[in-house]
Amino acid sequence: MDGILSVKGLSKSYERAGHRINAVENVSFELRSGEILGVVGSSGSGKSTLLRLICGLEKPDAGHIYFDGRALSPERSISDKREMQMIFQDPAASFHPRRTIQSSIGDAFFSLMGRGAELDLDTLCLEVGLSPELAQHYPRSLSGGQCQRFAIARAIVSSPRVLLCDEITSALDVSSQAQILTLLSSLRKEKGVSMIFVSHDLAVVSTLCDRVIVMQSGAVVEEGKTEDIISAPQNEYTKELIASVMEI
Amino acid sequence: MNSNPILSLEGLCAGYGNGDVISDISFSLGRGEALCVVGQSGCGKSTLLKSILGVFDLPKITGGDIVFDSQRLSELSPRQRARLSSSGMGLIFQTPGAAFNPIRSYKKQFIETLKSRGTYDKSTFLPLIRDVFARLGLERYERILASCPYEMSGGMNQRIALALVMLMQQKLLLADEPTSALDAATRRTVADELISMRSDGLAQLIVTHDLALAAYIADRIAVMHRGRIVELAPARELLDAPLHPYTRALLKTAPRLGGALPTAAADTEVYSGQLIECSPGHYILKEVQHGRHTER
Repeated sequence: MDGILSVKGLSKSYERAGHRINAVENVSFELRSGEILGVVGSSGSGKSTLLRLICGLEKPDAGHIYFDGRALSPERSISDKREMQMIFQDPAASFHPRRTIQSSIGDAFFSLMGRGAELDLDTLCLEVGLSPELAQHYPRSLSGGQCQRFAIARAIVSSPRVLLCDEITSALDVSSQAQILTLLSSLRKEKGVSMIFVSHDLAVVSTLCDRVIVMQSGAVVEEGKTEDIISAPQNEYTKELIASVMEI
Repeated sequence: MNSNPILSLEGLCAGYGNGDVISDISFSLGRGEALCVVGQSGCGKSTLLKSILGVFDLPKITGGDIVFDSQRLSELSPRQRARLSSSGMGLIFQTPGAAFNPIRSYKKQFIETLKSRGTYDKSTFLPLIRDVFARLGLERYERILASCPYEMSGGMNQRIALALVMLMQQKLLLADEPTSALDAATRRTVADELISMRSDGLAQLIVTHDLALAAYIADRIAVMHRGRIVELAPARELLDAPLHPYTRALLKTAPRLGGALPTAAADTEVYSGQLIECSPGHYILKEVQHGRHTER
């Protein structure tokens, strides 16, 4: 598999209560084409900041992000945005509460693809396993699982090659979570979409991801194939994370 | 179902005005016992907790009864019921810190709470706090007391809320998804603390969609589907040998470390009947027809 996304020496720090906090510190890794890469770690380990930097929502203090071998500038072009989309943790909060889902998805589509483009909403809804009629609803009248599937629909509206998923199943019940994981797996299989899947739930990550990066205090402390990380973790922090998993 | 229970539900039905959200819920909970109620979003888990707590206007109880600490709640006035709930039941919310005013120090809030119950004693307050915090592994209690909830992480707020429940020496803890907003390591810490809190006889009724949490902390598990309990059994027995088809489907949705992709549980089936004891302590919802019952 070739690398579609490379992150080299990425760093970001914040000022908080008079202290400088290194949210992301000299992080480097590669996302291979068609791969699902898991990023795990405790709250505050820098996982979400890393995704926001990659997506261009925040500017790094240092380091570079390469897409298809090309360095991305902090100000992303429309074509960059088409190629890489982000999905957030809270499905309802990621939609405008007073607009229908269809309207929100339409906004995203036309801003990315241009006013002349044609949106096939029915096909898009079916791709995420939902009835097109549900797209007429407001976010508040949908379940968390339905909202999150529409958030995925909005994210794939421009046929991106990379999806950045930030704790997208952690607010859902187990059954909705299973539906989302199945959907992501089929998007990778049928469309070849590569993904970075951030989660604090190692069990979820282990069922979906090919490789895993473990983050602690903003730095990558371990990286490897999922089965290797789970069965033979090398780093002490990774061992603690695995030991903390409660199993059925 | 349980001798000398702290809480018994007898055919409880409750809703919000447009029909019942929970129907015919019956179980009992012993002192020091943990019962986890699991199920998908919308199955009625949180409505069940609110019905038992009874301090909110809704849901309205439409049938059945609740017996808490040998008192039949339907025989109490709203004021008596609220007093009984606040003195005997602690509530932990899904959102860490929701139980606290974010900009008021823990110390002030702890003192106010104890004063409202008439149990505040200045001479024993700090030693008691030190003891309770130590039992929950919370270090530097004086620093924590001087802090405000907004300064603390979600995990710390949830643990401090547990400390308050212990301090109030309540008999029943009602917890609504107590670990769902926490990361894996903190989740495990809070789960361990919930277990340790039971040594003083604190009963726990915990609703969660987290099957791994239920497996870790529960003595018994009740599975809810569309407002009804479809199976209730000792935790290990239910997880290892589920009898009801919905329980079997729900267990397949749980991700397992290094396991295959989980499959979603179908939510279209409607189950009816009565809870029948199949083996000692193992109840399953079955349709009763002409004096015999059939599993759906």
